[in-house]
Amino acid sequence: MIMRRVFVKILFIVSILGFFSNVVANEQDDLKTHFLEELSDIIKIIENKKLSKDERNVKIVNELTPMFDFKLMAKLSLGKKEWMSLSEEKRQKFVALYVERMKNSYSSKIDSYENEKITVTDVKRKKSRILLATEIATAEKNLKVVYKFYKPKKRKKDKDAWLIYDVEIIGISILKADKAQFKEFLRTKTIEDLMEALAKKKTS
Amino acid sequence: MSKNSIIFLLSIFIGFNFSACSSKNIPSPQKDQIVHIEDDDFDDFEEEMEVKEIYDPFEGYNRVMTNFNDNLYEHFFKPVNKGYVAITSTDVRVSIGNFFRNLYFPMRFFNNILQGKFHYAFEETGRFVVNSTAGCLGFFDPAKSEMKLMPHNEDFGQTLGFYGIGPGPHVVIPLFGPSNMRDAISFFPDAAVSPIDYKDRDWPTLTKTWAELIAVKSVEKFNEVSLYSNQYEEIRKDAVDLYPYLRDLYEQKRAKEIEE
Repeated sequence: MIMRRVFVKILFIVSILGFFSNVVANEQDDLKTHFLEELSDIIKIIENKKLSKDERNVKIVNELTPMFDFKLMAKLSLGKKEWMSLSEEKRQKFVALYVERMKNSYSSKIDSYENEKITVTDVKRKKSRILLATEIATAEKNLKVVYKFYKPKKRKKDKDAWLIYDVEIIGISILKADKAQFKEFLRTKTIEDLMEALAKKKTS
Repeated sequence: MSKNSIIFLLSIFIGFNFSACSSKNIPSPQKDQIVHIEDDDFDDFEEEMEVKEIYDPFEGYNRVMTNFNDNLYEHFFKPVNKGYVAITSTDVRVSIGNFFRNLYFPMRFFNNILQGKFHYAFEETGRFVVNSTAGCLGFFDPAKSEMKLMPHNEDFGQTLGFYGIGPGPHVVIPLFGPSNMRDAISFFPDAAVSPIDYKDRDWPTLTKTWAELIAVKSVEKFNEVSLYSNQYEEIRKDAVDLYPYLRDLYEQKRAKEIEE
């Protein structure tokens, strides 16, 4: 009888542990699968020669939008102090400009894509973040690109459960780079100047 | 096992499975909830996104030099590059890049050794032997494509960084672009083991006079520009103010390279 109780208890603990490790592993695997699916969809769009360049880029940006938390990126690029000092109207204007700039930047990077092979090399979980490491095999060398995901406490509307908040290209965090350049810019100029500069970039 | 304990275990499993399913189909939150959540985003990221202040006492000079380099690119390298790209294929340019990279093997070998990365030094040696022979003097990279021998780029700046020496003030170098005191000084020990330099050595060097050295270095530079001009133009587009942007990209990249 005692043996049986011990046995049941062990079985119980083992099954719970097994289950939890499965859930954790599944989240990473799910994310990787989802990422690869999106990637193959995007490559299909790129390979579709019937589309004009602009049509293609709009399609791709639409495909990417649910994966990225552009709004959070915009906020983080300004930093807490600066963001908090802005009026609601200015916040919205800044976010709109930042998102536009991000989308343009991605579109122009897609323009230079030449069938390079992209592979997922590693999926790491760090507390509440998942780092998805990829490698783009260019003719010259392999470029390491890491996508950093976080999971909002509550799922955002029209967004995936895990969202990209930063991209690291050969060790350079684009968000940190933006934060650094905006900080430098705001040392001598105002937020209005910054928004004007971002708006100007859009048209050039 | 008693019937009860089986039912107990089953109910736990079913319960967990339900909770797992439901977490996958979280209903979209109401609008007013969205606003509420977003207010506490920041604290989660503040530490992670902290930007280190870069020591920059030469900012005035650096800005002027960045401008100079950018103009040089726009009005000299870019038009020349156009001609160069028109008469050479990507394969040729990549091969020339490979050739120069292969020549810098001693630099990578010594710096890997100096950092105690002996297995990397060994792998680099393998690459050098394979690429110098089967790779036709280094123009091709069969070591990587056929034998999976990976490059491990290390220079003296990284070695100094490895032993805890900080970057020092940021310095923009004419023609070369962003650098810092530590990395700029490191040019000299790295050049001392470079097989391209014309100085008297116990081993054969590629050039015999300074004129030859400049000619060879020019080819290397033009070829490099042809391989990286797209990246530079992308960076230029993303920059609100070019100098601090380039400065930060450089320092971030170096910090990461040293960390690895």
